[in-house]
Formats: sequence, structure tokens, C-alpha cells
Amino acid sequence: MASQIVMDHTGDTRHQFDAADAEALHKAEERFRSLTKVGFTAAVRTASGDVELTKTFDPTAEETLFYPRLVGG
Amino acid sequence: MPSFRRTLAEICSRIFGLREHFNPRLWADDSEARSLKLLREWLSPAQLAQFDADGHFDVIGCDTGQKYRIHYGSSMNVEELDKFGQPRICYCFVTDAPLAPGDVVLAQKIALETGEHAALAIANKFTPKRRPVSVNLWMGS
Repeated sequence: MASQIVMDHTGDTRHQFDAADAEALHKAEERFRSLTKVGFTAAVRTASGDVELTKTFDPTAEETLFYPRLVGG
Repeated sequence: MPSFRRTLAEICSRIFGLREHFNPRLWADDSEARSLKLLREWLSPAQLAQFDADGHFDVIGCDTGQKYRIHYGSSMNVEELDKFGQPRICYCFVTDAPLAPGDVVLAQKIALETGEHAALAIANKFTPKRRPVSVNLWMGS
């Protein structure tokens, strides 16, 4: 199962989906678009453990993390 | 009479449950625990070991190779280190939505490791302050 992790006031909300299920994949892509559209940044981990940002939905990503826009504090 | 007592007990139980549900302090504790769990999942093994030992961890900026130290906290918790490992500049940048410290720290780590210049461009800069010795409260979670 792939998962999309969205940081929020509860800590995070995790959306799991079966990447082999076309409908679930479509929902995940919609979620990706709607979150990035409102300013969330999407990050994935590579096989080597490094973190990379992704601007487009990657249907093969096992785990995608979304965090809100950063501002000066 | 027994049914009245049972009803009263059920009402009290429900009121107590609602109090817990609407207690922001309990929410905060839960969100902080969840954010810490997420942070630990996304730290590299070396960063996790440092975090467990010292309560902070180091990241390397992707654009300059500069080393930064991120302390557990929600503001003024990122330090640029000099060649002796001493804090030179303190940066403050946070998520625009209020999040638990573990989430903020993780967002800062990813930002420095994947978009250092962009992160520092929005950050406010301060002179580093002396920090108390870190107390490790999250070992073994």
C-alpha cells in the first residue's frame, strides 16, 4: 500500500491507497493536486533514503509527505 | 432505582468522555506524539542517533554544503554552524499553519536539504543565543 502523509493540527493524517487500483490512484492524484495547489510541498524518499521534492504526482512513490508553506518566523 | 443509577453513571461517563474529547491540552499532547513519530521515521539513521543522544540533529544544505543544526522546537531553532561546530547565525522559519514541533522540525530539515537558498531567503536571522543542555525526553519511543 502506498501512502500520502499530510501534516496537520493532529500531527498528520495518513491516506493509504492501492497503487494498482485505478480509482484509488486517481483519488491520490487529485489529493496531490489539491494540496500542492494550496501551497503544500510534496516530498518523497528515494531508495537510498535521501529526501527529494516532487512537483508532479508519482504513482510509484511508496510514501509522499506534504508539509505546509514555510514562512519567516 | 438501579436503572436510575445506571443512567446517571452513563451520563457521567459520557460527560467525562466529552470533556476529554474537547480538551485542547490532550489534543496537543497527541499531535506532538504523532509529529515526533513522523519525524523519527523521516530522519536519516545518523540524524536519528544524534537526535536521540542530544535532542538536536545536523543537516547539510543542498546548495552550499553548509552544516545546520536543528533543535527540537517551533521557532528560532535552526542554527548555521561555523567550522568549529559553533552556532554562527540563528534562523527562524516555520510552517504557515500552526503545527506540532516535530512537524515543524521535519519541514525545516526537508527545506534545507532540498531547497536551502529558498528556505534561507524567507527566514529571519538572529544572533544565536546560549542554549541550555538538551534533556532527552523522547528516547525509546
